[in-house]
Amino acid sequence: MAQDYDKPEKNSGESDANPLGVAGRRGVLMLGAVAASTVVTIRPALASTAASVLNCKIPIPDPAHSGQYITQDGRLVAPNTQGAVAPPPRPITGDEAKKMINGQSPAGFDPSSREAYVNYIRRLQHGTSGFTCYASLQAPRP
Amino acid sequence: MTTAVAGPVYAADPPAARLSVTLDALVAVYHRPSGVTHLLAAPSPELLDALADGPADAATLRDRLAVLYDLEGDGSATIAARMEELVVAGLAWTA
Repeated sequence: MAQDYDKPEKNSGESDANPLGVAGRRGVLMLGAVAASTVVTIRPALASTAASVLNCKIPIPDPAHSGQYITQDGRLVAPNTQGAVAPPPRPITGDEAKKMINGQSPAGFDPSSREAYVNYIRRLQHGTSGFTCYASLQAPRP
Repeated sequence: MTTAVAGPVYAADPPAARLSVTLDALVAVYHRPSGVTHLLAAPSPELLDALADGPADAATLRDRLAVLYDLEGDGSATIAARMEELVVAGLAWTA
């Protein structure tokens, strides 16, 4: 008995939580197929929004770990660790991060460090400096 | 009680960080921290809501949804796939 289907509906005061809900009945939630996509990200079309996204900055590493090196898979390690690369000389802008993610090497950064930086950016988590900037860059590519 | 953690544990911003508007079968979600809007189809909005109770892996999320809904379809594998989509979109992350 992994699930108890007889529990009463819990979200009585939360009408938005169950868009398929029918009063007095439990909603049916279709989980669908693994391959089915359910998220579409809308690219901001406003110039001002795009500008702020491209000008935001991602410090590598975040200030709390200043000076640490970055492994090829994007983790932070002690300075001078073998196989890891030195942090970039300055924070990466959203525009530069976008280029790096697309495989380009913007001026001012060591091209051989690109992969490590991209993997660091991909690993950014909520609460880490630069996460919001990275999240803002997330949009489907044509 | 032992909990077998089979896959990644997911987390999301609290519901207050999102502005959601239901559009019949779709839900438009404006993510305030990133300023980006997403269109979600079931079961993704429900998964985000289920994360309001705290970080969880796919199996735990399935159990949380089963309290509220009659689930149809594959279980944890589908939920894990949907969570990966939400991670890529920036609406969730692996804890």
